[in-house]
Amino acid sequence: MSAAAPRNDVILEGIDLKKHFGGGGLLSTPTVVRAVDGVSLAVQRGETFAIVGESGCGKSTLGRLLLRLIEATSGDVRYEGQSILSLKPNDVRRLRRELQIIFQDPFASLNPRMNVGDIVGEPIWLHGLAKGSERRDRVAELLNTVGLRAAHADRYPHEFSGGQRQRIGIARALAGDPKLIIGDEPVSALDVSIQAQIINLLEDLKERFGLTLVIVAHDLAVIRHMSDRVAVMYLGQIMELSETDALFDNPLHPYTQALLAAIPVPSPSSRQPKVLLQGDIPSPASPPSGCRFHTRCPHARPVCSQQTPALEATPEGRRVACHFWREIQGAGAGSITAPPPSPALAKRLELYRTWRERQDNAVAPSL
Amino acid sequence: MVHDAPLQHVTGANGPGKLIGTSEQPLLDLQGLSIRFDGAPKDVNVVDDVSFSVGKGKTLCLVGESGCGKSVTALALMGLLPTPPARIVAGSAMFEGKDLLSLDEHERADMRGDRMAMIFQEPMTSLNPAFTIGDQIAEGIVRHRKVSKAEAWERALEMLRKVRIPAPEKRLKAYPHEMSGGMRQRVMIAMALANDPQLLIADEPTTALDVTIQAQILTLVRRLQEETGTSMIMITHDLGVVAEVADEVAVMYAGRVVETGPVEAIFEDPQHPYTIGLMGSVPSLGRRQGRLATIRGSVPPPELMPKGCRFTPRCPFSDQHCANDPPPLGEIAPGHRARCWYAPLEVKRGEAA
Repeated sequence: MSAAAPRNDVILEGIDLKKHFGGGGLLSTPTVVRAVDGVSLAVQRGETFAIVGESGCGKSTLGRLLLRLIEATSGDVRYEGQSILSLKPNDVRRLRRELQIIFQDPFASLNPRMNVGDIVGEPIWLHGLAKGSERRDRVAELLNTVGLRAAHADRYPHEFSGGQRQRIGIARALAGDPKLIIGDEPVSALDVSIQAQIINLLEDLKERFGLTLVIVAHDLAVIRHMSDRVAVMYLGQIMELSETDALFDNPLHPYTQALLAAIPVPSPSSRQPKVLLQGDIPSPASPPSGCRFHTRCPHARPVCSQQTPALEATPEGRRVACHFWREIQGAGAGSITAPPPSPALAKRLELYRTWRERQDNAVAPSL
Repeated sequence: MVHDAPLQHVTGANGPGKLIGTSEQPLLDLQGLSIRFDGAPKDVNVVDDVSFSVGKGKTLCLVGESGCGKSVTALALMGLLPTPPARIVAGSAMFEGKDLLSLDEHERADMRGDRMAMIFQEPMTSLNPAFTIGDQIAEGIVRHRKVSKAEAWERALEMLRKVRIPAPEKRLKAYPHEMSGGMRQRVMIAMALANDPQLLIADEPTTALDVTIQAQILTLVRRLQEETGTSMIMITHDLGVVAEVADEVAVMYAGRVVETGPVEAIFEDPQHPYTIGLMGSVPSLGRRQGRLATIRGSVPPPELMPKGCRFTPRCPFSDQHCANDPPPLGEIAPGHRARCWYAPLEVKRGEAA
């Protein structure tokens, strides 16, 4: 998509994707929710691509559109250069194997009446990948891969904690040898310590199986840690798309700047008054005219409410949808300064890591 | 209780007893709270020997993960604990000269919403969908003050202005479903502060909100606190939020306070392995620094809870001593305490082994 992209090995591409909900029906009110409204993006093979935004920005809808789990109103999705919106049922089945999804809520996304072996084994059976004892072996191997025990196959989802359930969901996603996995808020329902385990697991698996990851999330720290490139969404459109470090070091779009400024920084010594975004996110059923962010933007001018800014390319190969990004970027707003850990904390973290490794080596990793 | 020195006074061998905590006379002084759930194994209290104090106008953050007992502790203070199954087996909570834990139901009801108030995580489920915002705020005022309904509505309007809700006259007559999550949380705060409480307990007040809205609410809470001098106990799992609002911090794990101290000490000089592990688990907002440190496994179920330190099975530094003997909440520096046999770690767990 962007000529300046470092590599050009696109695995999955969305082209002017739109998804509008509602508006149909004889008796329903003609309210149309423009959940995703003209989004184009290209995911490179092997990268971790993040889609970030606040509730109602359409990030989850976009994730589902990219997998064709819901049908787009218009636009196209290409996987390996081929449109997936016109595939025949048999080809869709192959697609389902190669493109997988992990859901946010590990409590709602696993069938409570199936045991773990069946949950993980189902895709293997569906796609005819293995039978009988071979399938059982494969399930055991998958459970080991995600840090569970083979014996867990006979248990049911309710017997597991949130983190373990998320591992089951990941094992199931891996069962069909996928090429690309979309994680829809894969760690946001988990406790901090469990969240770190799952993030590390996803990174290990990506490395080991050569996966491409698309992470849909709202937690900017998690995104900074995991992803190579980020698309920032607001009310159904991409506001900014950039390499992760560049985005965090020098956010161009005023919305990105506001998002970064709003993150609580875990360092009590660097408390400072913040420039805050005022007001609420407008309803996606009646988005503001022109630039959708203009109602909350501190830099808005008359033209912003009349003309929708294009997602234009910057010299560094980033993309930003703002009429005035050149002038705004010098304003000094946004860029995030995370103070380094204090010497005492750094020292103890180091010690913790050393002993933690020792702990892992001493016993076969349980759980 | 047994193995704990009194929390308030540090009597050094040389020098006068120095007051720790936040001010001379804490507004709330909780000592040795233990809560047991019916049906739980013997000796495994869901909240075990929890002590802390909150100074006037100060903010104490209770930090911990799901199931660590932080919300149960708050509910006990508010007198909202469902009994059965929960039973307070020990402890006292001195607040304005009274022990909150031994009040009868009537005294508690007088206290709640007046001298102390609470806001919850999910504002939609804490507001009654069948009544207007104005009715719900006024109800709490009429319950505790001798005022007419009109005066109560006047006060409700003033509160909505205070929490900076746009078009407050109109909003008074609105129903909860007509407002966004952030606005509902503002209403909850208005309701909680309507009677000028001395203590506000906020249980994950921003967890359900988007990050830009969270920043608005945190700023609002801080500004109101400066205006009114209300003390606050904030319960959260988000270390970023803690760093933004806390004066004092108590880190809880599996029902016990494992580390407590001033917010700077907790972030810059963390002592307990759990606190350190938590900090290593949070991705940094700066450039990536390798893999995240993790804490192994998850919180054990009550029947597998170790006799000694409850963090033993997950702690990289633990040994048999930890598993058998519960460590005391020992003092590291004035006001900074950690419940670990091996703190400070670099001294007792440094190069050796």
